[in-house]
Amino acid sequence: MKDEIIRKGMLTAGIIFLVFFCIGPFIWMIVVSLSDSPDFLVRGQYIFTLKNFIDILNIRNLHFLDYLRNSLFVAGLTSIFSATIGAFAAYAISRIDFRGKILILVSVLGLSMFPQISIVGYLYKIMSSIGWINTYNALVFPYIAWTLPLSLWLMLSYFSQIPSEIDRAALVDGANRIQVFSKIIIPIGAPGFLSTVLLLFMASFNEFLFALMLTTDFRARTIPVGIALFEGLHGEIPWGYIMAASLISSIPVILLALFFQRYIIRGLTGGAVKR
Amino acid sequence: MNKEIREALLFILPLMLFILFFTLIPVIGTFFVSLYRDVTFLTRKFVFLNNYVRIFRDAQFWKSTLFTLLFTLASVSIEMVVGMIFSLVINERIPLRGMVRGIALLPWAIPSVISARVWQLIYRYDYGIANYIMQHLFGVSVNWLGSYSGAFFSLVLADVWRTTPFVAIILLAGLQTVPETLYKQAKIDGANIFQRFFKITLPSIKPIIIVALLFRTIDALRVFDIIYVITGGGPGGATNSLSLYSYRYFLLGDFGYGSAISIMLFVFAFLISFAYIKLSRLKEIAL
Amino acid sequence: MNRYFFLILSFALLLSGCRKKESILTFAVGGASSELDYWEQIISEFENNTKIKVKILRQPTDTDQRRQSLATPLKAHKRDPDVFLMDVAWVGQFSASGWLLPLNDYIKKDNFKINSFFKPVIDQVDIYKRRIVALPVYLDCGLLYFRKDLLKKYGLPIPETWGELLKYAEDVQREERKKNPKFYGFVWQGGQYEGLVCTFLEFTASNNGGIVDKNGNISIDRKENIDALRFMRDLIHKYRISPPNTYTEMKEEEVREYFQNGNACFERNWPYAWQLHQGEKSPVKGKVGIALLPRFKNGRNVAALGGWHIGISKFSDKKGEAWRLVKFILSYKTQKKLALHLGWNPGRADIYDDPEIREKMGQMEILKKALSHSVARPAVPYYTRISEVIQNYVNGSISGNINPSTALKDAQENIEEILKQYEQRD
Repeated sequence: MKDEIIRKGMLTAGIIFLVFFCIGPFIWMIVVSLSDSPDFLVRGQYIFTLKNFIDILNIRNLHFLDYLRNSLFVAGLTSIFSATIGAFAAYAISRIDFRGKILILVSVLGLSMFPQISIVGYLYKIMSSIGWINTYNALVFPYIAWTLPLSLWLMLSYFSQIPSEIDRAALVDGANRIQVFSKIIIPIGAPGFLSTVLLLFMASFNEFLFALMLTTDFRARTIPVGIALFEGLHGEIPWGYIMAASLISSIPVILLALFFQRYIIRGLTGGAVKR
Repeated sequence: MNKEIREALLFILPLMLFILFFTLIPVIGTFFVSLYRDVTFLTRKFVFLNNYVRIFRDAQFWKSTLFTLLFTLASVSIEMVVGMIFSLVINERIPLRGMVRGIALLPWAIPSVISARVWQLIYRYDYGIANYIMQHLFGVSVNWLGSYSGAFFSLVLADVWRTTPFVAIILLAGLQTVPETLYKQAKIDGANIFQRFFKITLPSIKPIIIVALLFRTIDALRVFDIIYVITGGGPGGATNSLSLYSYRYFLLGDFGYGSAISIMLFVFAFLISFAYIKLSRLKEIAL
Repeated sequence: MNRYFFLILSFALLLSGCRKKESILTFAVGGASSELDYWEQIISEFENNTKIKVKILRQPTDTDQRRQSLATPLKAHKRDPDVFLMDVAWVGQFSASGWLLPLNDYIKKDNFKINSFFKPVIDQVDIYKRRIVALPVYLDCGLLYFRKDLLKKYGLPIPETWGELLKYAEDVQREERKKNPKFYGFVWQGGQYEGLVCTFLEFTASNNGGIVDKNGNISIDRKENIDALRFMRDLIHKYRISPPNTYTEMKEEEVREYFQNGNACFERNWPYAWQLHQGEKSPVKGKVGIALLPRFKNGRNVAALGGWHIGISKFSDKKGEAWRLVKFILSYKTQKKLALHLGWNPGRADIYDDPEIREKMGQMEILKKALSHSVARPAVPYYTRISEVIQNYVNGSISGNINPSTALKDAQENIEEILKQYEQRD
């Protein structure tokens, strides 16, 4: 009995700790974004205002909406393409037996271990020479490559849960591989595909280093770089603007996290977490 | 080449092409660049391993390496502990479990730069909330970002906050593979909650722990975002991670040296993962 | 079938959305809000006069980030930005990297009055391999701001030496702290960034030290510098007249805000702060005076030379239009407007004698004097690396983490390494 009480007590403490630990900084972010000045704690006076939000949405010079648009575009394109390409490759690896399969898997996994800094320098040189600096291409293509190992791994774990008998049946009936892929595997693996797209979207949306080096202004710059370099109307670090911008930028991913947590968790664990 | 292999190739080709052009070639390219004196305002020339010799004699490089290693050690160990706690919590059948899980995901879901900015404000000396709390509890203000140890601790905490959810989820998957019956049996045998945890849970999820450790270690070694935003490598270069150090040279225009540093980072990451894998396999054999 | 169509369509969109032909001139400029708003006005005037469309690329205020956002497209040989402002400290790197368009032909063709500008500045900063590659838009130098009301209240004169400033600051701080616990005697830029090098330069040169020695070599490790550095550190830790976040967060705007909110007696800052201190809502309006920065007892008055120069990208596809914009910005009329509205010190020397300027801007006297005492940072192409080393060790020292003599000795060693790497001898 005592054991139960200890367990319940620790569980409750754990939940409280978890909730405060995770939400705490968000609350601070929200409070500052709605404040007239970030030093209200020291000043002793809190003035509520929506000015920060209004300003960043209205002042063209701050380019906030440009950054948001760029981020959504780049992350959207990346996640869809990367998940698709990953699905194609995963299908082949999980269904077809061919030499070098293991080699490909291991090397793709190994390549994902490369620090981005080891890639971005030369990538910058390549992009410079083909004139892609500060364009969507400069981000989308490397992002696809960068997320493919994850995409492959995720789709592979989903596809391996679909029994290959289904394929065999269809093949015997005269369908070719491509038809099997598009008409059978994809519909069945749709939830897995969705999870993958979600995770890839979040990864691309949040990426910083490539964007920092490969974009130079609002025409292609993304949210993370925009917020890291955010300078407002008064020269000093405009905390109100930064927090307002951060909040707005976080909303897509927060909504995704809260409503699709099941898919995200499923994605991260390759479907292992069932309940 | 028979039909099967041809089809397989078709499916795999897009992935191979992308990875070839935008990952493999840049890495090889970076390695070759590191063998040159490649500076925007000097003539380019082949210097073979000169950049690496320079690295060897560069005190700041070794300082950065030490910082990166210590940071990784501190961050990963704390994450594992806190992540373990979280995963135990969200494994239970608690009310609003979905909501709690969603909340647990939040720090990891938002862009790392955004969480870095929030922590930067929290640590701000004159009006950040950290010092507000310190003033009220202890009557002192701590220079979070201005001292070596303060900056180190601040960065570790910010990183732990951001990455714990990821660890928690991975460990959660592991927790769910432990059969209920083991616990039932242990309870019958009179084991208390701590004994159940240390004798059953931990050993069962050891493989998952090792996987999580490996991924997180490699990630921590290449940390860039939060350091760039919160301390910029300061104070006095004390928190220059290797990624950041390499980046500074790219900014200057010295691609040769910057590339060499990034290659060294990769080498370190490779050696450490190699050591990991070796060690963990040895342990499993020993058991 | 639909699936493939969608894929192909999006790929096509992807590839097409990359580059649009820009038919407008891009002008990269940064600064505080008031400055950028005014630039918009100037630009629209230019557009009306010439029918050339211009787009302003807003830059970060932090100078390091500003340099980065220019260096990235220039390194990549992009067409944009066409025209940009450069901090005096970067002209060396930009010109040596081959990014600046030589202007001699344009100057000759249009009979541009190059002699109206401060010749020493042009000679030291804007010339590379005997071609003019940039022109000064405005000049900057470090100044001492003080609360003249407080000095009057406590019967203190304007300090001439650092020793005097120290004493006066301590006295004022002690008294003012009774009502205002946040009050500090002296605020200055000590954060780890480019501005710290200027601060360091001023303290050391005012002690007969400096970064560059008499022979033009970079020589940091000198007794005069060590003493000056020790003094900087003591201001924070020993005498405590400068706040502890001096070396973590204090940059130009943080310092200005602190002083402007009435929480400091002395401030080291650039001339731009004057306008803002005298602004409508400023708590210290009418209470501020400026003077030359103090010197050490046997030293001399100095002011770090700053300022912004304008250049045209060598890779611009609209060089003719770019030159017209440059000419416009450097015209007597525009320079005078910038002086009157933004408190800028014109790069053109002839404006200083303009009667309206003299009348409306009392600080011009002091400025001209300070400019005559100005010291420049080394104009080498690898300056940023040198700057980083200096920033590193100076910040480490004033934060109390490194002993000043050790810091400068190690800094010099680092610098020797850098010289070995980047001084091209082949």
